[in-house]
Amino acid sequence: MVRDLSSGYRGKKVLDGISFTIDEPAIYVVLGPNGAGKTTLFRTLAGVLEPYAGSIEIDGTDSRGSLANPPLQYLSHIDGFPDGLKVDEGLRFYSKVQGVSERDVERVVHLLGLEELRYKFFTELSQGQRKRVSIARIFLQERGIYLLDEPTSNLDPKLAREIRDLVLNLSKNDLVLYSSHNLFEAKEIGKYVLALKNGRVGYFGLLSDLRPKKYVIGVRATGAEGALSASAKKGDYYLQELAGPEEVPKLVQELTAKGVLIREIKEMENPLEDLFA
Amino acid sequence: MLEVSTIRRTLRIGWRYLLIGAVVSLLLTCELLFLGKKPGSAFDATFPLEIPLFAVLGSTGGLMTFTSDRMKGVFEYLLAYRVRPRNLFINGLLATAAMTGIFLVVALSVGVGLALDRGVSLTQSFWEALAYYTIPMSFAGALVTITVGMIWAAVSTPRTGINSPVGIAPIIGVGPTILVLLAAETAPSSDYYFITGGASLALILAAVAMLALSARLMSRERFLSNL
Repeated sequence: MVRDLSSGYRGKKVLDGISFTIDEPAIYVVLGPNGAGKTTLFRTLAGVLEPYAGSIEIDGTDSRGSLANPPLQYLSHIDGFPDGLKVDEGLRFYSKVQGVSERDVERVVHLLGLEELRYKFFTELSQGQRKRVSIARIFLQERGIYLLDEPTSNLDPKLAREIRDLVLNLSKNDLVLYSSHNLFEAKEIGKYVLALKNGRVGYFGLLSDLRPKKYVIGVRATGAEGALSASAKKGDYYLQELAGPEEVPKLVQELTAKGVLIREIKEMENPLEDLFA
Repeated sequence: MLEVSTIRRTLRIGWRYLLIGAVVSLLLTCELLFLGKKPGSAFDATFPLEIPLFAVLGSTGGLMTFTSDRMKGVFEYLLAYRVRPRNLFINGLLATAAMTGIFLVVALSVGVGLALDRGVSLTQSFWEALAYYTIPMSFAGALVTITVGMIWAAVSTPRTGINSPVGIAPIIGVGPTILVLLAAETAPSSDYYFITGGASLALILAAVAMLALSARLMSRERFLSNL
């Protein structure tokens, strides 16, 4: 439970009295434009920053007080890998900091497919490889709460997918706060949305409760020239504004009856975009 | 555990400085022992005075590790895993002390070994100088350097290069070494080692006290890589 939390840098508030309660294991996507306070929120929840005011309670205990080692894992958007170490050495360094065994390092190396990288210096790795190694750290120990600040930035699509799958797996039993600038990714994995705006909570609730102001779908089809208006076209997609998803089957039926060969239909508007408006 | 790891990493990051400090001090030792009109005659009086200057250079790895950890975001993770800011400073101090110790073992054993091999007679005042000036002042100079450097690095915008705490602090660190020497030279000869030994101890205590105070007063955001 986060209550009236204010935090920031050099006395200047970035988060201004935000409150929310999380009690269901799931992925909570944290969204917001640059400067909205996402990283500050993660840092404050992780105990890296001391809040100016308010409280953070985990299982009824103030996380700044008696929790010497709170049950959370934190992934910053910065690599945080010690200079001069090989991947294997860096993971062992963090395994010791977290108080876990070297067997956990082996497990994580296999989990993240780091076998080929483990004896290389971190500085020799590409951006994507560094990110993968950085992410490995949070799997060293299961902790119940995961604070992941842009975990898939700088990753290729395949690896980003693998990381999302791992995070989805975590969220079955654990609570994951996940920030991303990729709204389609956020929509794909998030169950709840915490949208920050100017250091305050702009929206907190189920992602499924969000509806776009307009429901627009794109139809990619052949033989649609007469049936669909070419004036509202975006790339290969004919744009159609409908009242809601329930009208899609009816449209499909009509187009099929007119001999249109539908190849793909997709939503063109992401309800999360409205949170940035 | 973290202390041991920091010392190991400091050795890896700062070995070049350790090597340069040792090599330069060795070159001067050779100059004292092998060159000049009367080779070896100035060794007894000069050798103990030069070593602390190079100890500051040789131990720079401690400060390099601290600033690197801050810039790379390592501190952010350590704080998240509830490592206290105080311990981040202590690690820097211990790593610097370890580097100074290694430097002293190398510089003193090679220097004194060469001198004995050349048949230079080492007086009692030589050994006293080592005990009351060279060794304590080497640690004091290095610890003042790391203290100034760490506090400066923490309160300033993270940066590297010659115009950064890592670049400038070692130059500042030489200051106390020379000042203490000058103060001792102007005092009565009977007080010489009392001044050098006492000042070294006072500097070490001052460095530790400054860090303890800084760790208490400094907010955690000072350890983050981007402010």
